[in-house]
Amino acid sequence: MRNCQCINPLKPYPATIIKIIDETPDVKSFQMVFDNPAVMENFRQKPGQVAQLSVFGVGEATISITSSPTRRGILEFSVKKVGMLTSALHRLEVGSKVGIRGPYGNHFPYEVMKGKDLLFIGGGIGLAPLRSLIDFVLAEENRGDYGKVEIIYGARSMDDLCFKYDILDRWPQMPGTTVYTTIDRAELGWEGHVGFVPAYLEEINPSPENKYAITCGPPIMIKFVLQALEKMGFADDQVITTLEMKMKCGIGKCGRCNIGSKYVCLDGPVFYLSQLKRLPPEF
Amino acid sequence: MKIQEKLREIARKLLAGGEAGVVIGYAAGSEVSRVVPAFISREEDVDRLVWNPLCINNLVKYLLDYRHEPGKVAVVVKGCDSRAIVRLLQDNQISREQVIILGISCPGLINPDLVAARLDPEAQIKAVTTSEQDFSLQTEREIFTFTRDEALLEKCRYCEHHTPVISDFIIGEEIPPTTPLDPFTAVKALEELPVEARSAYWDKQFSRCLRCYACRNVCPACTCRECIFDQAEPCWVTKANNLSENMAFHLIRAFHVAGRCVDCGECDRVCPVNIPLSLLNRKILKDVKELFNVPTPGTSLEELPALGIFTNSDPDEFM
Amino acid sequence: MKAYIMTGDNLGAWLDTLARDFTLIAPVKEEENVILFKPVKGFAEINLNYTNSTVSPKGWIFPQTEEMFYFSTAGGQINLTDVQAPRPAIIFGLRPCDIKGILTLDPVFNGAYPDPYYQNRRENTILVGLCCTRVERHCFCTSMGGGPTDGRGADLLVTEIDGGYGLEALTSRGEELIHRYQGYFTPDQHSRVILAREELGQKLAGQFTRTVDTTGVKEFLDQNFELPYWDEIARRCLGCGICTYICPTCHCFDIFDFAPDGERGVRSRCWDSCMFSHFTRMAGGHNPRPTQKERVRNRFLHKLKYHRDRYDLDGCVGCGRCVTKCPVNIDIRQIIADLQEVAQHA
Repeated sequence: MRNCQCINPLKPYPATIIKIIDETPDVKSFQMVFDNPAVMENFRQKPGQVAQLSVFGVGEATISITSSPTRRGILEFSVKKVGMLTSALHRLEVGSKVGIRGPYGNHFPYEVMKGKDLLFIGGGIGLAPLRSLIDFVLAEENRGDYGKVEIIYGARSMDDLCFKYDILDRWPQMPGTTVYTTIDRAELGWEGHVGFVPAYLEEINPSPENKYAITCGPPIMIKFVLQALEKMGFADDQVITTLEMKMKCGIGKCGRCNIGSKYVCLDGPVFYLSQLKRLPPEF
Repeated sequence: MKIQEKLREIARKLLAGGEAGVVIGYAAGSEVSRVVPAFISREEDVDRLVWNPLCINNLVKYLLDYRHEPGKVAVVVKGCDSRAIVRLLQDNQISREQVIILGISCPGLINPDLVAARLDPEAQIKAVTTSEQDFSLQTEREIFTFTRDEALLEKCRYCEHHTPVISDFIIGEEIPPTTPLDPFTAVKALEELPVEARSAYWDKQFSRCLRCYACRNVCPACTCRECIFDQAEPCWVTKANNLSENMAFHLIRAFHVAGRCVDCGECDRVCPVNIPLSLLNRKILKDVKELFNVPTPGTSLEELPALGIFTNSDPDEFM
Repeated sequence: MKAYIMTGDNLGAWLDTLARDFTLIAPVKEEENVILFKPVKGFAEINLNYTNSTVSPKGWIFPQTEEMFYFSTAGGQINLTDVQAPRPAIIFGLRPCDIKGILTLDPVFNGAYPDPYYQNRRENTILVGLCCTRVERHCFCTSMGGGPTDGRGADLLVTEIDGGYGLEALTSRGEELIHRYQGYFTPDQHSRVILAREELGQKLAGQFTRTVDTTGVKEFLDQNFELPYWDEIARRCLGCGICTYICPTCHCFDIFDFAPDGERGVRSRCWDSCMFSHFTRMAGGHNPRPTQKERVRNRFLHKLKYHRDRYDLDGCVGCGRCVTKCPVNIDIRQIIADLQEVAQHA
């Protein structure tokens, strides 16, 4: 159950930003390395887990780890500027010091998914948590364990597409991988699909056979994606999502991320749809 | 009990005729010494409404919850509470047309602790009589008499308006203003102390504040859409509970309600650790009255808050 | 379990000594009708004429504001420094409900990620319980599985007996404390203490003005999340934090940084309340518990269901503080009774 190896789970380890990628006008990806190499070596996250990022003097926020565990030596976080902490992160530069503690939470059931086809459906910054699993599955050492990979990803506009390098270049070239990209409204220079993610999903109409669907995005998108998947015949146990809640401690004590008696920071953030349906609608 | 019957009669008519969508009043609480705010929207529930000397809560702030609801809201007010209606009207928080004011001529309230000490908690008050000397509470079995001297609620000893200053109905015989005790006795006593002693006094009070914000949440002058104490950015006052932050909270709040506090006493009542907030607010009330020669805020619709308007005659010795 | 007897005079002398050797935390009359647990310098400051303190003593294990560590970002480097560990403390005069409150908090701050701050204080604090001598009108500990003389969880339990006090060492730590200060006590040869405590327990058992029956309430809530009843309660709720802050079992907290010069600062945590609207509001504005209805429901479900789901313990110990202090008479005893009734009509 416990993932974090720290002696004091509330005290972060110092880390340094080594690279910043401007993904969209309000999303940046930060590559970070712990200052202590032993901490870096011992930090063993699983796809879908989260960490608490500190900007000292401002505070902490829970951010999903977007890099795959197969990529050793760095941690990557994609952060949308929405609040106080994320704005502070956006003001940082390469070389800036931060704090990281974690990893926290459960992870995508990558063991259970072995031998299955995977359908990823993401919207906006919601691709960030999915990306850790996508890259995990597509990594050379794991690729043989999984079947076909389909990725449906959409954003409001071309500008708002995160991880352009992955979705437009890298992933489409991977064996057994198909990427479908869409933007909400047509715009000059975009030759791809136009329309909302749930509608595009229905258009593509993937078969539920031997497949897991993993989705994350804005609440409204998730709502319609879940409806579409149900229509296509996906069972509740084949659908997986990851939730975002306000968290402070990350270790099941501060009491704010509960949905019923489950804490998203301990029992989530990854849930099967079948589990979500048994929880009160407070997320 | 005449007032209670009359109140129910009016409430029933308002709801039956569709004139009001809800009547905010008092109902019996979980024990004899308590009442609860009740929100009556069906005629058959009207008999839950009670009026007795334990009806202390100021219900006016609940009007804010109905700002965006269609239909009129009727609210039961005592004299002191009625000043809060003026407060919300002057601050444009509610519109006069949306509110039906059920004003009760209030002869004064009783200290609930004394009731709790003498009556069985499960008892029900069947009838109440109040005279110039005492309160009599009649339960199923017995009549309990409390002298006004012993049992009159502290804030009622300084009552300025027994009869509401604004209303659509006046229930009970109008009670002309009586000569209350000087509300500023305690303020004056504190003013007499040297500054170090005053400082030590308030340090002691504020240091035990839990920052539960009950005083703010109950206050009819606290109506900001987002209170600065809830704001994360900019962070004016941190969440840390210490004397410095606690004092910042109380002083900012006191100044924010300066000239607008209607002296309803609710902050005093709700404070779980008995911080004498009225004393703080009354100090400012006294200063505002002396400086601007104005009545207690909320006394009349025409009299705008002293610090909300400017006239050439305003004192300016600080300039 | 060994029992001892001490005279009233010796109690005062012993507490004076404890105050010298430890941080002694005991009930103090702060103002008229306000009893708080505070550090004291000696017996003279202690007030034993109380039933329940105004605020629960949990803050001495889980402080309202607790500095976690200091940080410095000077020179582009990060330095984190631990705060000084608290001095060994003794809390004297804990009522049985408040001891149970600490037992209720224990699993929260333990588990997969033991909380070092809580653990540190917990391990460095000796709990000296004091049996109740009277029952107040909002007390309902017996309805929640406790009792006014049930000191389980304390290291030492003190009972007022004829001509003095009886002490029972409930843990080895309690035994050690007795041993260290043995001059103040005499062994209880004739089981006087246990007999007196049992007799007191029986006497007080009949004094509760209201008992509630929680049987089936959790099971009903397991099946019924949506109830119009919560609207009714929430409508009068002021959304203040009184109930959560005086409660012996509420444990929600926030974490925040304070760095006045931007370089050197402290990261602290402080109590927070699920009654506050911004408690669950996310940076983007989404709020999973957007109205007071969800928040009120969360608090009562936490007490009556969630804590049992997670830790198999009731989330309420029946101290009655929230009943006394809620400005709008939201009375958990009444809520339990109402839920029983709703369940019967369901």
